[in-house]
Amino acid sequence: MDLLNNLIFGFETAATPYNLTYCFVGVFLGTFIGVLPGVGPLAAVAMLLPVSFYLPPETALVMLAGVYYGSEYGGSIASILLNIPGTPSASVTCLDGYPMARQGRAGVALFTTAIASFVGGIFGVVVMTFLSPVLAEFALLFGPSEYFSVMVLGLIAASVVSSSGAIRGVMMVCLGILLGAIGVDINSGDVRFAAGIQELRDGVNLVVVAMGLFGISEVIFSARGNIKSYATEKISMKKFFPTPSEWLRSIAPALRGSVIGSFFGTLPGTGQTVASFVSYAVEKRMSPNKEQFGKGAIEGIVVPESANNAAAQTAFIPTLTLAIPGSATMALMLGALMVHGINPGPRLIVEYPELFWGLIVSFLFGNFFLLILNIPLIGLWVRLLRVPHYFLYPTVIVLICVGVFSINNSILDIWVTLGFGLVGYILRLYRYEPAPLLIGFVLGPMMEEFFRRAMLLSRGDPFVFFERPGSASLLVIAMILLLWALVPRGVIRILIKYLIPNSNSSKRF
Amino acid sequence: MFLNRLKSQIGNLLLLSIGFYFLINSVVLLELGTARRMGPGYFPMLVGAIMCVLAIVTIVKDLKHPVERDAPDFLSVASVIGGVVAFAFVAPLLGVLPAVFLSVLATSSAVSSIPWKTRFLLAVLASIGIWAVFVGGLQLPLETIRGF
Repeated sequence: MDLLNNLIFGFETAATPYNLTYCFVGVFLGTFIGVLPGVGPLAAVAMLLPVSFYLPPETALVMLAGVYYGSEYGGSIASILLNIPGTPSASVTCLDGYPMARQGRAGVALFTTAIASFVGGIFGVVVMTFLSPVLAEFALLFGPSEYFSVMVLGLIAASVVSSSGAIRGVMMVCLGILLGAIGVDINSGDVRFAAGIQELRDGVNLVVVAMGLFGISEVIFSARGNIKSYATEKISMKKFFPTPSEWLRSIAPALRGSVIGSFFGTLPGTGQTVASFVSYAVEKRMSPNKEQFGKGAIEGIVVPESANNAAAQTAFIPTLTLAIPGSATMALMLGALMVHGINPGPRLIVEYPELFWGLIVSFLFGNFFLLILNIPLIGLWVRLLRVPHYFLYPTVIVLICVGVFSINNSILDIWVTLGFGLVGYILRLYRYEPAPLLIGFVLGPMMEEFFRRAMLLSRGDPFVFFERPGSASLLVIAMILLLWALVPRGVIRILIKYLIPNSNSSKRF
Repeated sequence: MFLNRLKSQIGNLLLLSIGFYFLINSVVLLELGTARRMGPGYFPMLVGAIMCVLAIVTIVKDLKHPVERDAPDFLSVASVIGGVVAFAFVAPLLGVLPAVFLSVLATSSAVSSIPWKTRFLLAVLASIGIWAVFVGGLQLPLETIRGF
């Protein structure tokens, strides 16, 4: 049993007290961030990046991943109690979660989402365990041109789903690639675009870009938004358990949600939000109690929560096996690996088995921790929602400053971060979503390398990308995605509008 | 009228000029090489060119159908800049903790309704928290207070 051996191997890595502690810290912070509307997992992972440089690579990834999937658990709490999604992917949970809370069944809703999240999370981990080695083995057949094309596909997919539209998304990706090109070119040794600034020879630091674009600009955007604290009403926690018939009704939806979520999580560019929307729409059609949807149907919270948690786990599949991050947060995970000198790609599972299998086993631990955090300790998170929101933003700013400063003890880095923050703010004002930029920034250098290699092998013939069948089919898919997004103006956005007429959740996609 | 139109295009123009900067820079300052053996400027030139073309397309599109945009919130911008600038100036002079303290005070001015007592309390708590996490917990080599 190869798989069993691998899992035991991973268990040995994940179950050390050191890694368990960081796993717990990760999921705890993740839940914390998820509960608070406003600061998302992306900003949280960005803020933890400098800290992760001081940890061993597997521990760093265990913690960062914990923040990521932990926030999916926390995100639903504000959805249910306040009708405000804590994370974008929890916005569907508002539809039936909030009506349930209004009917005095908030306790049941919170309990059910925790269980559904757990089922989805574990399902996603199982899918990842079986699918990743297969995909990695397949990807070993890739040559440079296939790699280049798969990256093009990943970037196009990321820009197509960005809320600002495909053209703007592609421009953000290009900007990211160009920023990633700053510094010494590995092939020639020439310094590019450094404008004579000595510190830029090594390129722009990922932390600086991420903190500026997502930390600082996010704070500018939200600092004066929610001045009041979210005064939640007293909720009765006495009734916690769903009725037996509700348990029975939830099993099939939980599995369907997990399957749909695992599928969309694996696709680059889609991720948890699309997963939860699609699974809700599918369930609404299939369910025998359609008319209850939107009025507090238990299936309406089981399905999106199992889907977005499954997607949060399977998003690691393309990231770790193909080095294609499906979202900006995943791009940060890749960046964290690269800082430790680990090249992500199909060889990762073979070359760093302790990291890969350790991470998988840590997901299992993390999901158990989350179950404990979200059922007995639910009162803690509910109380957190009453803390005034304005405490959060100054704290985020100093965390950014200290985090950036701690990398190189460089004040210049802080100025550059501020610069990125202001540029990010202007871009957001003009409806440019900066998330694809970060993916371009991380993938850019690899993409250039594969492009140059492929062109060298083909003796300068650009049609090599269309002559090799693997590369050609990937590019055709990318092309179809792009056309599909340009012509009917984004089917996904219409879907969102159709499902939630009066929410602005599509803005944060 | 013209000014308004210009204002509505600042984002697009910003991206056009960044793309143009990279394009010109790679063509003029860097070796392009050939398609077979690419120099350092070849790939950035292509990407910069794509960006310029898309920026022009977007400008034309937006002039025909203006997209809605948000008005900037200058108080928020100023207080965040103030917070970061305070940190950047004070950290090398007095150390990280005084910088954190002042930075929190500066940033919290975004919301004018917070009482001063609360602000000071938050600033003290943030300094203690930063110390506990970065110095106590992670043991990073930070100069907490200059001279200590």
